[in-house]
Amino acid sequence: MKVHKLVYILMPLALYLAFMWAPPAAILGEASRILYFHVPVAFVSVIAFVTAGIESIIIIIQKNKNSLLREEKAYNATLIGLIFSVLTLVTGAIWANLNWGTYWNWDPRQTSIVILLLIYIAYFSLYSALSDNENRGKISSVYLILAMIIMPVFVFIIPRVYDSLHPDTLINADKKMYLDPAMKITLFVSTAAFTLLYFYIYNIMNRISVIKIKIQEKHHAL
Amino acid sequence: MKGIYKNLRKDFLVEYRNRSAVNISFAFALITTMSVSLVAGGTGLEPHIHAILIWMIIFFSGMNGLAHTFIREEDEKNALFLRLSYQPEGIYISKLIFNIIFFTGIIALICPLYLFFLQTKPQNPVLFILTAFSGGLAIASITTILGAMVSKAGGKGSLFTVLSFPLILPVMWISISNTWIAIEGNKVPDYRNILFLFLFSGVIALISYLLFRYIWVE
Repeated sequence: MKVHKLVYILMPLALYLAFMWAPPAAILGEASRILYFHVPVAFVSVIAFVTAGIESIIIIIQKNKNSLLREEKAYNATLIGLIFSVLTLVTGAIWANLNWGTYWNWDPRQTSIVILLLIYIAYFSLYSALSDNENRGKISSVYLILAMIIMPVFVFIIPRVYDSLHPDTLINADKKMYLDPAMKITLFVSTAAFTLLYFYIYNIMNRISVIKIKIQEKHHAL
Repeated sequence: MKGIYKNLRKDFLVEYRNRSAVNISFAFALITTMSVSLVAGGTGLEPHIHAILIWMIIFFSGMNGLAHTFIREEDEKNALFLRLSYQPEGIYISKLIFNIIFFTGIIALICPLYLFFLQTKPQNPVLFILTAFSGGLAIASITTILGAMVSKAGGKGSLFTVLSFPLILPVMWISISNTWIAIEGNKVPDYRNILFLFLFSGVIALISYLLFRYIWVE
């Protein structure tokens, strides 16, 4: 059994722990349960964008070796990252409405995730604009590498430089996680479940890409 | 080194002869600055509105000219000749230097014009100038490599703006906030932001230098 198939066990467990087992936070109440979804999807989106960046680096280093499949893999990772970023944005907006009374208030963390979304939406524009170019894989890879380098500015630097209403992040200045042990366990299980879900979807998409490439090759051979 | 100088000289000569990028960008800068001053010249805008307006004018003026250096090479069918004659890294450096000089020129035109027509005066001129220069440098560094990508996509329509805008936003964010502080003069200036912009430009230019070959060589 492949490791990512553990998602079948971990995801129901994460849902049970998030809704039934973990206690509500002291001040935030039941609304705090969104933490077990918001943090993992944000984490997965970063993982997906880093995967796309690493695939792009491999495309650049390995000259023409399976570059079409690598290109598809980078594309798939970016697409999943984009979807998870939208989920981060939506769960964050729901939480903001429950706690700040508004879905959107241009908080630095909300703004930076929107900009991150725009960066990766622009990748798809570039990718489709280069459809006639034989060098599309490498050019779009250079863009993904640049995006991966700029991403930490949005995820780690800007939200810390500017005043934000966002609760202290898990990777904070004190390097301590201010959570109840039960909440901590739930968050870890949920993060593991969503990470496995990402690898599960990524694996399926890559397998589809392999089939697509084989069909294209057969079509060209005819 | 010789290749960089020759290519840079060629770019300036071509620009001097047809002045297409310079004319469009400078005209855009002039028109937008005049339009803003006509509408809001006497209304006494808040410092943060001034900061936003200056950087919006700078950004869109740059968008009209910064991609031009690479798109022109593809349009005029010079790209193949350049590929055969010079090292990709040399071409990248010469285009980067051209864009930095070109964009610094645009900023040097926009800022005094804006301050004059909108009748505003930065309380901290040193911070204002440093922000304008470091922000311009960062924008030129990012747009040079993006211009090369867009030229390979046939310079299609608004693709350059679509690609540039989100990547430039952190620079714009920091530059606007620093310009606001410089105009207002009430807050203690944080020169680490300037350092960040210089570092950001350096990192982007270095990565672009290393990766440019993969965009340029087919």
